[in-house]
Amino acid sequence: MRGMVEGRKKSRTFRRVKVKTPGGNTKVQYKRRKPSKAKCAGCGAVLAGVARALPRKMQNMPKTKKRPTRAYAGVLCTKCTRKKITQKARQYISSS
Amino acid sequence: MIEIGRLCIKTAGRDAGKKCVIVEILDERFVLIDGETRRKKCNQLHLEPLKDKIDIKKGASHADVTAEFKKLGLTARETKPKAKKIRPRRLRRSKLATQATAKPEEKKTKKAVKKKAKKAVKKEEKPKEEKK
Repeated sequence: MRGMVEGRKKSRTFRRVKVKTPGGNTKVQYKRRKPSKAKCAGCGAVLAGVARALPRKMQNMPKTKKRPTRAYAGVLCTKCTRKKITQKARQYISSS
Repeated sequence: MIEIGRLCIKTAGRDAGKKCVIVEILDERFVLIDGETRRKKCNQLHLEPLKDKIDIKKGASHADVTAEFKKLGLTARETKPKAKKIRPRRLRRSKLATQATAKPEEKKTKKAVKKKAKKAVKKEEKPKEEKK
């Protein structure tokens, strides 16, 4: 019946999923959307290897599954990390 | 700059930002590195050479590199071999029952002795669970 959905679920922040029930009917379920893709703090490119899930699922994931195993993982893209590390290395060379 | 004994910083990969020394030059593109990083083949483009140089021979072992690093105040990467965990395997109750009724032949091999010890542990565990 119409009007049986909570008002807040009519917002587009929820996604509508059509589910086939064991009784043979198709019903609409309202589910939350995944958070947006992580972006590089330097250049704004989409970061690879960073998990996207709702907070409770992220909590239960081990740390190594949420981001790559690298310096600046989950913060900078590979290009920006290399630039930063070479920059730091050259600073170290010039200072020593 | 790329020569045996040259200290470098690795710029790419999971060892990025760590100091390493060039142990061997494999060809125009690749070198063998060791030190704070894993001992592995590496592209020369992924290295940033430093001013320092270490006195090592071509193909130096990890022990030599560790010793030289100590003089500079750096600690080379160390890996300890993991002790294998012997996890007690759980058998289904039906299997335990058949084992209890059937008389096992007494073999005096090491495996048989170990297996017996494991079974004893399992039998202790099962009644504890039932009591709960």
